[in-house]
Amino acid sequence: MSVLEISGLSKTYPNGVQALADVSLTIRPGMFGLLGPNGAGKSTLMRTLATLQDADAGSARMGDVDVLRDKDAVRRSLGYLPQDFGVYPKVSAEQLLDHLARLKGLNDTGVRRDVVATLLRQTNLYDVRKKALGGFSGGMRQRFGIAQALLGDPKLIIVDEPTAGLDPEERVRFHNLLADIGENVIVILSTHIVSDVSDLCAQMAIINKGRVLLTGEPLALTRRLEGRVWQKAIARSDLDALKSRLPVISTRLVSGRTLVNVVGADVPADGFVPVEATLEDVYFAAISGGLDAAVADTQAA
Amino acid sequence: MRNAFTIAGFEVATRLKRISTWVYFAVFFAIAMFWVAAAGGMIKSAAVSFGSGKVWINSPYAIAQTVSFLGMFGLSIIAAIMGRAVQQDFEYRVEHFFFSSPIKKWEYLFGRFAGAIVVLLIILSSISIGGALALSLPGLDPDRIGPMRAVAYIVPYFTVLLPNIIVLGGLFFCLGALTRRMLPVYIGSVLLLIGFLAAQGLLRDMTNKTLASLLDPFGIVATSQLTAYWSISERNTRLLPLEGLLLWNRLLWLGIVALVLGFTTWRFRMAQAGTSGRRRAVAADEGVADVVSVDLRRVAQGKVNSVRLLPRLVWLNFRETVKNVYFGVIALAGVLFLTVTSSTAGDIFGTSTWPVTWQMLELLSGTFDVFMLVIITFYAGELTWREREHRLDQIHDALPIPTWLPFLGKLLALMLVPVVLQALLMLCGLGIQAAKGYHNYEIGLYLHGLFGIELITYWLLCVLAMSVHSLVNQKYMGHFLMIVYFVAISFAGLAGFEHNLYKYGGTPPYIYSDMNGFGHFLLRVRAFQAYWAAAALLLAIAAYLFWVRGTTASWRGRIAIARRRFTPPVAGLSAFGAVAMAGMGAFIFYNTNILNHYLTPDDELTGQADYEKKYKYLDHAPQPKVTAVKVAVDLYPSERQVRMRGQYTLLNKTDKPIDTVHLLFVSGEETQVTKLEFGVPSTLVVDDLQHSLRSYKLATPLAPGESTQLTFDLATGGKGFTNTGAFTAVENNGSFVNGRLLLPSIGYEPNGEITADRERKKFGLPAAERMRDRDDPAGLMENGLSADADFITFEATVSTEVDQFAIAPGYLQKEWTHDGRRYFEYKMDSPILKFFAFQSGRYVVKKDKWNDVAIEVYHQPGHEYNIDRMIAATKSGLDYFTKNFGPYQHKQFRIIEFPRYERFAQSFPNTIPYSEGIGFIARVREDEKDDIDYPYYVTAHELAHQWWGHQIAAANVQGGTMLVETLAQYSALMVMKHKYGEEKMQRFLQYEMDRYLLGRSTEQKKELPLSRVENQDYIHYRKGSVVMYALQDYIGEDNLNRAIRAFLEEHALKGPPYPNTTQLLAHIRAVTPPQYQYAIDDMFETITLYDNRTTEAKAKPLPDGRYEVTLKVVAKKLRADELGKESDVPLADWIDIGVLDSDNKPLFLEKKKIDREAMEFTVIVDKKPARAGIDPFNKLIDRRPKDNTAAVDIG
Repeated sequence: MSVLEISGLSKTYPNGVQALADVSLTIRPGMFGLLGPNGAGKSTLMRTLATLQDADAGSARMGDVDVLRDKDAVRRSLGYLPQDFGVYPKVSAEQLLDHLARLKGLNDTGVRRDVVATLLRQTNLYDVRKKALGGFSGGMRQRFGIAQALLGDPKLIIVDEPTAGLDPEERVRFHNLLADIGENVIVILSTHIVSDVSDLCAQMAIINKGRVLLTGEPLALTRRLEGRVWQKAIARSDLDALKSRLPVISTRLVSGRTLVNVVGADVPADGFVPVEATLEDVYFAAISGGLDAAVADTQAA
Repeated sequence: MRNAFTIAGFEVATRLKRISTWVYFAVFFAIAMFWVAAAGGMIKSAAVSFGSGKVWINSPYAIAQTVSFLGMFGLSIIAAIMGRAVQQDFEYRVEHFFFSSPIKKWEYLFGRFAGAIVVLLIILSSISIGGALALSLPGLDPDRIGPMRAVAYIVPYFTVLLPNIIVLGGLFFCLGALTRRMLPVYIGSVLLLIGFLAAQGLLRDMTNKTLASLLDPFGIVATSQLTAYWSISERNTRLLPLEGLLLWNRLLWLGIVALVLGFTTWRFRMAQAGTSGRRRAVAADEGVADVVSVDLRRVAQGKVNSVRLLPRLVWLNFRETVKNVYFGVIALAGVLFLTVTSSTAGDIFGTSTWPVTWQMLELLSGTFDVFMLVIITFYAGELTWREREHRLDQIHDALPIPTWLPFLGKLLALMLVPVVLQALLMLCGLGIQAAKGYHNYEIGLYLHGLFGIELITYWLLCVLAMSVHSLVNQKYMGHFLMIVYFVAISFAGLAGFEHNLYKYGGTPPYIYSDMNGFGHFLLRVRAFQAYWAAAALLLAIAAYLFWVRGTTASWRGRIAIARRRFTPPVAGLSAFGAVAMAGMGAFIFYNTNILNHYLTPDDELTGQADYEKKYKYLDHAPQPKVTAVKVAVDLYPSERQVRMRGQYTLLNKTDKPIDTVHLLFVSGEETQVTKLEFGVPSTLVVDDLQHSLRSYKLATPLAPGESTQLTFDLATGGKGFTNTGAFTAVENNGSFVNGRLLLPSIGYEPNGEITADRERKKFGLPAAERMRDRDDPAGLMENGLSADADFITFEATVSTEVDQFAIAPGYLQKEWTHDGRRYFEYKMDSPILKFFAFQSGRYVVKKDKWNDVAIEVYHQPGHEYNIDRMIAATKSGLDYFTKNFGPYQHKQFRIIEFPRYERFAQSFPNTIPYSEGIGFIARVREDEKDDIDYPYYVTAHELAHQWWGHQIAAANVQGGTMLVETLAQYSALMVMKHKYGEEKMQRFLQYEMDRYLLGRSTEQKKELPLSRVENQDYIHYRKGSVVMYALQDYIGEDNLNRAIRAFLEEHALKGPPYPNTTQLLAHIRAVTPPQYQYAIDDMFETITLYDNRTTEAKAKPLPDGRYEVTLKVVAKKLRADELGKESDVPLADWIDIGVLDSDNKPLFLEKKKIDREAMEFTVIVDKKPARAGIDPFNKLIDRRPKDNTAAVDIG
């Protein structure tokens, strides 16, 4: 099974924003989570891999396919669910899926009909397949999106922020769908929701301001922070003072009080208690730049 | 209220920050500047003018024209800005910010509306600013600029532009706000355009003026009706008043818009899309069900089969385009429009023609052009942006299909749209024909015209539109650029850009004739279409290369992508396109510029100017006159060639010896000279056919009274094809060759000079009179038809192809066939003027007789409709003219139809070439009181020329054409009057009056009194008709005829010297009673107009059942100078006072002496009066004929 090898990918937009800076990643079959805040460059990376945009520099290969140049080859084995997409409001789910299936090369009518039906069943849209897409709810539309992404036996599936805006129930349903896709396919899932990754992905990368901050397996990454995350409930007014002294990675309001997470080898200050490290801590530590310190610490210790 | 202003202010501020606003501004600024500069003579080759070269380019009239005309092209931006004023909120999904704020609905709507109006006013102010600044450009002709008046720039904004913005903008605003989409807005703009075109079409019938003025939403028809009769001087000084039909038009449309705006305010819901309407979310989502596992291996994927997918994509795109209510609306509106305009198609004197197929085709394609352009443009936009607007583009763009597939799918779908519309048009045309009772359905011709020719033009347009939208990648800018393209194409000619080789999609015009089919026009149409098809291929390739796939929008990125798409096959296709384009271009250029002389109108003027500069000195050089012509004419219809061999006999009628003879050749360099020899040895001293001249020096000068021969062998014809005009004299069927086309005339030809002062100035020529003075002694020695000959003897042998019949003036002596060609020998038995033509065709002939005069009508089979009318007119004409004027000099009268390349009939001795376009297909309904039998009129007119023109040869001086044309008009009018009665004549004269008044307002030099007319159509025909009809009414028909007969007897078939108008008027004065002598001055010697009206008309019933009618009238008599500047003159005139019944029949009609401005009359009539007034039948020239009478108030 091929591996997606990205190296040195860079992209700067005409307005000067550097969306990707020397991004290198190795993505193996299975679910790969791309985690990062809004504007981190996730979508740029996804669109570049989905052949919709050109990079300024760098390369990406999947097996013997040059992803950046041989766009046709990529598209033949690509399933893509963009972050923001619409539908023809007056066309039914079945019609549009059938249409897209043809465009993906499912020429045989019988096979195509089976595939469309199977996908609609799988995404639980079979009963509404005759309904106009304009009336679909956000979750239904998102499921339709994954259905079209699965058309044509893709080897590379790119789903860009698929759970944004979904209610919890829909999210679970969507996770189930993704989880079912199979292990022999590369699925890149970009999200800013940590639990999407921790629930689904065997590998991940954290990306911010166009740079890859961290890659690895979620469990292994979490393990690196084990015993180094400390927490304390403080008054909101003390937060700024605390932040200037300690490597605060995240704050969170619980019942009106502020819970502060700090990384460090030892108890950073009075009142801090150790808490179990989560992927969220890893994420926030990475984003805030505190991870390097924590890991360096570990190595020093 | 404050909120409304805040919203308006925000709207204005954001719009003004947008680059597109200023692009629009700049474009209109530039167009206005260019327009005015062109009209002002800065661009030498440009031909823009405001009706007459005498109208100042900064006159109120010119400014109003500029503003309203260019304002019309603002339609597209009015639609874009007004339509989007509310719609943009839905498009950008920001509507809830506004709908959730505490602003009232009307504040939101009004704010947006007002803001957009202000923005448009700012943008369109560029027209005035550009137009005004253009005046300070260098190189303008100072004579074309009048005094600067700021108010003239401001007034049109309030009378024309602001109402238009509110009216059109209001409608667009509402459409955009209520439907929340732009498509309906564009459909709306098409409908408004149709309203305008329909209004213009209706104008062909004069009785529709009011309806047409009201119907046109732009107010252009109303404005032009309001100012139609303005003289040059009024155009230069009068501000456009908001009155009459223009006022009503503005009120009507503002009223409509107020209603629509009110409705919009009522219906508009401040709610998000989808929540207000019927559409409910499906929400039939049934929770988490068991997830069926899919076996992805079963999802077998084949190779994308683009060739198989293409038709499907085309079909889907096409269906999406046409399967909606808007397309239906457009199609329906188109059908409706055609039905309306077909009612007046081809009308002459408000009388229709049979709806023959070529006429339906002209109607269908001619008026549909703009329509098609709009449809194609915006559907190109819709198709290009469809995925992106539905945000399906990313999914779509990542599909494993080649980029050309969706592009081509859309392009081909777009190209299907005109196919459907053309089919619809065809059905529509057939329907109209059937409804009018015309059953000669020429399906083949329909298919050829609509699909074989017009459709290709539309396809070229489709490619352009798709390419613009693809390249520009900005929807509204794309639309706007298409409008700019259309404007540029439409006016390139006026600006001096003539060649179709650089006007995308440009194809020279073609004329279909029932006689000659598409003739040789087809080849050039095909050549240009092939050339542009190659260009379209290149455009399509460019569009494909830059077709946006993915999210790259920057030019740098797009260029990089385009480079990658430029694969060897694409490069190969481009090379093919380029080679094809270059090859066809070369072929066309060879035909238009090498085989033929490519002359722009400017080149032609230059030639004329050079002719005058070089040879003016020859003007009075003594020259011999032609006394006999003997010619053998060989016509080669299939090759479009003509050869003339023969002899002139020349006689020196001067008292000086002549040593050099100057020959003028109308065809110039197109004349192939094989032989030109005089009876005495001669040498060619000037060989300048470029300026139409060859001069021969005779070895021994021709002494006074001596004669010699000129033997000639000349040929000319059509070669390949040209860019514009065409050689149509010799054609496959229906050749019509004037002798002058090839045969030389002798001496300098002043008619070859430029007449318009404005043009003369451009070429550095001094101002000059158009014609010699009425009493000019040299002029009196020449006749107006041919200055180089008096009465001559004439013989001709004409040969043609074996299946054709050939005709020349004279009587057929002999006919034979030789070497597969047919020969006809004609000989004229009496002297004629040197004015003859030759015709040949496959005719059927209808023969008749009047006394011993043979009447023959040679015509196209199938054109039998009016032959009997023509024969009847000939007979009654011969009756009337021989009885009242004098004998007919020939024993035969022939009418010969020729193709509609020209639209006239012309009277040669005993021979009338008569265009198929002006009478053969007229549909005169006997039971329709408004129909005018114009085939009858034209025939009578041409017949009358056998007297006026051929018996009376008028001197070549001012007023000459009055003796020819005005008398022919009068003669025809009398024949018509006796056949159809006074009432029909009133309707006919309405048109004549209209055309006179319109004609004088576009006079290029100066208006002259009738007796000094300088070959001005609107004077010698139109004013002539009106004046002569009034004259016979004043002094009596018999009386007038007596004068005319006396004049004829004195001058028939005599000259030189030739008569002028003084002599005719002397005869007329002699029969005119003293009290009407003043009228002769008013009618013939001055330009006199009246402004008569009735202010009050009352009647009271008398006990004996009669009525006493009292009416108050106001009369005014004006005298105009040559530019129409008027001054009052005292009244002492005899004018009709009349009372009419409800059928417009006079109950009382008597000439009363009017010697005060306001007068009152009381008359008693027998029956119930309906209208009463002064000059009720409009015998006098009056620019407001309708107010002459008023409805009678019975109390």
